[in-house]
Amino acid sequence: MSKRRFQHIIGFFLILLFISTSGCSVKNQATKDFMEGGANAQTGATQPAPQAAPLDQAVVDNAPDDDEYDAPLETIPDPLYGWNHFWYRFNDLFYMGLMRPFAIGYKTVMPEPVRTGLKNAYDNFIFPIRFVNCLLQLKPAGAAREFGRFMINSTFGLGGFFDLAKSDPNLQPGDEDFGQTLAYYGMGDGFYIVWPFIGPSSLRDSFGLVGDAAANPLTYIFGLWGMYGEDNPWYWSYVIRGADIFNRLPDKIDNLETLKKSAIDPYASLRDAYIQYRRNAIKN
Amino acid sequence: MLPIRSFRCLVLAFFLLTFPAAAMADAPTDSLKASIDEVLTLLKDPAYQDPSKKAALREKLIGAIKSVFNAEELSRRALGQNWKNFTPEQQKRFTEAFTTLLQNTYLDKIESYTDEAVNYLGEQPIGEGKVEVKTTIVHQGKDIPLTYRMIDKGSWKVYDVVIEGVSMVQNYRQQFADVLMRESPDALIDKILKKS
Repeated sequence: MSKRRFQHIIGFFLILLFISTSGCSVKNQATKDFMEGGANAQTGATQPAPQAAPLDQAVVDNAPDDDEYDAPLETIPDPLYGWNHFWYRFNDLFYMGLMRPFAIGYKTVMPEPVRTGLKNAYDNFIFPIRFVNCLLQLKPAGAAREFGRFMINSTFGLGGFFDLAKSDPNLQPGDEDFGQTLAYYGMGDGFYIVWPFIGPSSLRDSFGLVGDAAANPLTYIFGLWGMYGEDNPWYWSYVIRGADIFNRLPDKIDNLETLKKSAIDPYASLRDAYIQYRRNAIKN
Repeated sequence: MLPIRSFRCLVLAFFLLTFPAAAMADAPTDSLKASIDEVLTLLKDPAYQDPSKKAALREKLIGAIKSVFNAEELSRRALGQNWKNFTPEQQKRFTEAFTTLLQNTYLDKIESYTDEAVNYLGEQPIGEGKVEVKTTIVHQGKDIPLTYRMIDKGSWKVYDVVIEGVSMVQNYRQQFADVLMRESPDALIDKILKKS
C-alpha cells in the first residue's frame, strides 16, 4: 500500500517536472559547449608545429579570437541576486563561523580512513538515486555499473565502507542525479538560487533535489510513508542524513576556504564554479 | 590492412625526417609529469619537513611549477577580450599580481598534501598546438579529476587547470569581467594585489 502511494508521488513529481521543462528547453540548447571548437582539431595533429617562427610579444597580443576563452561566457541568470546574496552570506557565516571549530575538532579526532569509509558507506546506501537516474537517462551501462558497485561494495566492502569496486576501471563511481536527468530531457538551468544550508543550486537542480530526496532509501525506509507504518522511527532519516553532512563538513569548509582565498569576488566565483560543475556532470 | 599500415609508417617517417624539432619536442604528458613528480618528491623530501624550512620549500615548489606553467597565457585567457584593453605595462603588472595570487592560494593547498598519487589518463588534442592532459589525483580516498590544458610554445606549457569540470581560467574570467565592467584595469590589479 505505502509503496503504491510512494509511486504515485514520484509519478506526480515527474509529471510536474516535465510540464515545467517545456519552457526552458530552448535556453538549454543555446548554451554552447565551449570545447566544441576544438573538436575538429584532431585531424591537424600531424601538422608541423609553428615553432619555427618565434612567438614574440606582439604575436600573443594580437592573437586572433580563435580560442575557447574568447567565446561569450557561459553564465546563469541571477534574478534573485538579493535573496541569493543574503543566503550566501548566511551560509558563509554558518559554515565558516559557527561550524568551522566543530569541523576542525572532528577532523582531529576522527582518523581520515574512517571519515572516508563513512562517506563511502553513505554513498553506497543511496545507490538507488544514481541507479534510477541512469535508467531514466537511458544509460543501461551506467545502471549496470552502479548495480555492480553496489553488490561488490555492500558485501566484500563491508556495507559499503570500503570502495573495493573502484579498483576496477570499469566500476568507477558515478554521480547521476535527478537534476541531470531533467537536463537530459531538455530542461534548462532556469536561474541561480542559493538555499540556506544547502548552498548553490539552480531552479532545475532544486526540483532535482526533491527527486533525489524521494529516491533516497532513507525516505522510504524511515520517511512519512515509510515501510514501518504508523510507529516508524522517522527521526533516523534525519539523524543519518545529518551525520553524513557533518562527516563531510571538513571537506566542505576546506573548499570554501580555498574559494574565498583565491577569489576576487567569492560570490561570483562560487556561482560560476557551480554552473561549470553541473554542466560538466550533465555532459557525462 | 597491411598496405595502409605501411603507408602510415612512411608518412610518419617523412614527418620525422622533415621536422626533427617537432618530433623531438617532449610530449605534453611527459613535461607535465616531470613537473608534478618534482613537486611530489619535494613534498616528501625529509629535508623540508621542518616548519622552519617552509620558505625554502615554497621557493623550490614555485621553481618546479613555473617550469611547466605559462603565466602569460594563463593571464591573457583569464582576461579574455579585456586583455587588449590593457596597456603592455598593465598586462605585465596584471600577470605578476595574478600569478602571485595563484601561487599563494594553491601552494597553501599543495603543501597540505601528503600521500597524494597522480594517475595520468592520456591526452587529447583540443585545437592547433593545444592538448588536454587528463589526470586524477587521489585525495582522501576519492579520485578528483584534474585536467591540464597545455599549449605548444616550443615546449608544452599549462595554461589552465580544470578541476571536476570547473575551469580555473574561466572562473576568473567571469569575476574579472564583472569588475572591469565597472572599474579600470588598474583598480582590478589593485584588488588582486590586496588579495594576495
